[in-house]
Amino acid sequence: MTRKQRTARVLIAGLAATMLVATACTPAGPITSPSSTPAATDQIQQGGRVIEGWATDLATIQPVLTADTTSQRAYQLIYDNIIQQDPKTGEPKARMATYSISNDGLTYTFEMNAKANWSDGKPVIAQDWLTGLQGVAKSAKTVRKSTFQDIQGFNDYCVAASGTQCKPTASAASISGVTIDPANPKKWSVKMAKVSCPAILDLNGYTIPTQVFGKYLTATSKPEDFDNAPENTNPTVSSGPFKFKEWRKGDQAIFSRNETYWQGAPNVDEYVMKVVANTAAITNGLKTGEITFGTIIARDLADMQTVDTVKITKYSNLGYTFIGWNTLSPTATGLADKRVRQALAYGIDMEAVIKAVVFGEAVPHYADMVPVQWSYPSSALEPYKYDKAKALQLLKDAGWVAGSDGILAKDGKKFSLTISTNSGNQERETLAQVAADQYKQLGIDAKARPEAFQGLVTKLTTGDQTLEATIIGWSLGGDPDPYGRWHSANIPDPAKKTEGFAFTGFRDAALDKAIEQGRNPSDGNCSTAARKANYETFNKILNENQPYNFGYVNNTLAVSQKSLQNFNPAPYQTLYNVHEWWVKK
Amino acid sequence: MRNFILRRLVYAIPTLIGISIITFVIVRMAPGDPIRFFTFGQRDITGEDLDRLRHLYGLDKPLPLQYVDWMLALVQLNFGQSFIYHQDALQLLLTRVPNTLQLAIVALALQLLIGVPLGVLAALKRGSWIDGAIRVFGVAGHALPQFWLGLVLIIVFAVSLRLLPSQGMLTVGKDFWDIPDRIKHILLPAFVLSLTGIANYSRILRTETLDVLGQDFVRTAHAKGLHERTVVFVHALRNALIPVVTALGGILAGLVGGALVVEQVFSWPGVGQFTFQAAIAKDYPIVQAATMFVSVLLVISYLLRDIAYALVDPRIKTG
Repeated sequence: MTRKQRTARVLIAGLAATMLVATACTPAGPITSPSSTPAATDQIQQGGRVIEGWATDLATIQPVLTADTTSQRAYQLIYDNIIQQDPKTGEPKARMATYSISNDGLTYTFEMNAKANWSDGKPVIAQDWLTGLQGVAKSAKTVRKSTFQDIQGFNDYCVAASGTQCKPTASAASISGVTIDPANPKKWSVKMAKVSCPAILDLNGYTIPTQVFGKYLTATSKPEDFDNAPENTNPTVSSGPFKFKEWRKGDQAIFSRNETYWQGAPNVDEYVMKVVANTAAITNGLKTGEITFGTIIARDLADMQTVDTVKITKYSNLGYTFIGWNTLSPTATGLADKRVRQALAYGIDMEAVIKAVVFGEAVPHYADMVPVQWSYPSSALEPYKYDKAKALQLLKDAGWVAGSDGILAKDGKKFSLTISTNSGNQERETLAQVAADQYKQLGIDAKARPEAFQGLVTKLTTGDQTLEATIIGWSLGGDPDPYGRWHSANIPDPAKKTEGFAFTGFRDAALDKAIEQGRNPSDGNCSTAARKANYETFNKILNENQPYNFGYVNNTLAVSQKSLQNFNPAPYQTLYNVHEWWVKK
Repeated sequence: MRNFILRRLVYAIPTLIGISIITFVIVRMAPGDPIRFFTFGQRDITGEDLDRLRHLYGLDKPLPLQYVDWMLALVQLNFGQSFIYHQDALQLLLTRVPNTLQLAIVALALQLLIGVPLGVLAALKRGSWIDGAIRVFGVAGHALPQFWLGLVLIIVFAVSLRLLPSQGMLTVGKDFWDIPDRIKHILLPAFVLSLTGIANYSRILRTETLDVLGQDFVRTAHAKGLHERTVVFVHALRNALIPVVTALGGILAGLVGGALVVEQVFSWPGVGQFTFQAAIAKDYPIVQAATMFVSVLLVISYLLRDIAYALVDPRIKTG
């Protein structure tokens, strides 16, 4: 060995040793978060800061314009809700306003809490709720106009440059279905054009300060006056637990304690939404203490469990990942047959898939509604436990027989199946590959095809018949009403150029009826018990017919620094008690 | 010289128009509809809502008309409103520019401060183990993927050693002008961004210095009895630096445009990260504004480089 070679080896060995020592070092204390050392007392302590990690920047702090979850989190810190969902079950509950519903299910009466005030000292009144509704009616950029179309007189008041629901010029000066009690400015009623069970959560609406936004919503105002209001990105008053302080775009949004919050001022001084590039950065930030809480992906769980400064809270996700079968596919014609779809359910070992794809952090799922929804069926559903023999028998019953090459065929046509999913989503790409491998064992010529999410969304919602099977996921917030996903009115039709989310093309009259009765019951009964009976039927039909392989429900993995107290995230809400959180010093 | 600059500026116009067409077409031809994308999964969204939003953003017009509309607005420096942020695309972009420039300028400084001395040292110690080590470093600087190196440095210096922050450009709660905190945040991303440049400069400087050291005027300087340090740093280095100085024009634009990966790894809120996220969300106005911004920067940089060439090399015709 020459001297040069010896020198190079010494250099490389030195570099490697430095890296090893550095990566093996036991973590020191966090950089920015308070120490996790237990305090002498568990008395609530005032002060400190909560830093939540987000992988996307907020787009706006105007609820009327919001279409993303990051912005939703931001405005919920500032503008309190009048109705909230129970954090664990999702049932609607009064928050900043009490409510009652008339016997015919058509009139909702609300009364704002007497203590509810804006941070500038003005009371939160009925007109503030109406201002939010007027904002939706006037805004050109909102995606919410259809949400309120069942309120009497809303369509006469709302403005849109195109379309039939709203007109370029409003035909009414006010929304006739909304009446504010002249004797009590905190009380109002809303008259609906028809009974709609999801309406109570929709009628939470957006309570925004009239003293700020009223000037953009006068009779002569243009839509852009409201849409481009500076207070949309720089709110000046608050009814929520925090006040807006600063938004460093792409980096962080800072909110400070609202001392006059009607439920009592929060214990922490500041709430910061820290924007990072991706979930890996959230994981790193939680490890270093740069982030106080955030959610991680299953792949990072084992690593996170070695960090002794954090607490991990697991709960079942409010959504699921599935394989949607195109029952109208002209190429994978087998998918039109219920027996084939059932065979595809029995023919995949979902328990093994969950271990391989999400490291065991999910449970198999068999119908549309998920266990944390109040509407989840009480009676047992067919779990489609892995049973290859049964799957092969069902395929045989449906006329699919293996040829000399081992591939199933019927009427001279081989059973080929392309499973598409959005590229870049490692979990779904792995699921597609594992599913294709398992279906090959049934004799199906299956293959996985990742493609750009944007393109996939367009294909799905327009009913592109080149898609045979698609892996994607649903987030099920709000009311359990499945109309958009499953009612036959929402099956996209390329010939008619109609769009919709019911992209499997599955159609069943009993299913439609159960959905309609759960949404707009003929007897006006919107009680959870009555609706649940309809959703029982709805889920059973889907469970039997398998237009999706319903895949699995992930665990949400919420990670927080141990110093953060009273932090109890739940499927429906994280912030419901944010004013009670405190940081142990 | 004035005519030379004017001529180059005139040449820049068709270049920018060409870039604008290519950018516009590529962005629009990518699969997917932005309105469907940002409304996907909204429970109550209807076909009518989608049509209304498409009309609002002019997406219901034929592609050539959309381009004409965009160009007409562009000449008034109006890049349109972001679909996602509901704000002026250029204004949004400009809030990110200082962040990226900060990173690019520090990276450029590191390239020069580390790359130049390494190159000279390698030339002066030609054939020694020092020369070998610097050359190995040069190869590694080119070969190591930025995302990989960035992640390794985060694991080592942020997660394990807790010496430096893992993300962002300022600790939450720190004053905006807290310079030491800003330096701590910029060290890792700037180093990763500068590595290729350091490798480049050390290689160029080594070659140029060796070349210059063998020339007659250096021998003459030695013959005149000048001190070795004076010969190297005053006479040789000045000449060896000419290619470096002339290359500087294009480097800043390259750094700004090339910071995407580093910004993504270190959650640095710059133009690259912003454009990347806008491209994923199909926010056309932002993607187009960012592409045009970097293109203009590139054109200006190349113009500066050409001017620098013309100034230092009389063989380049400027008339």
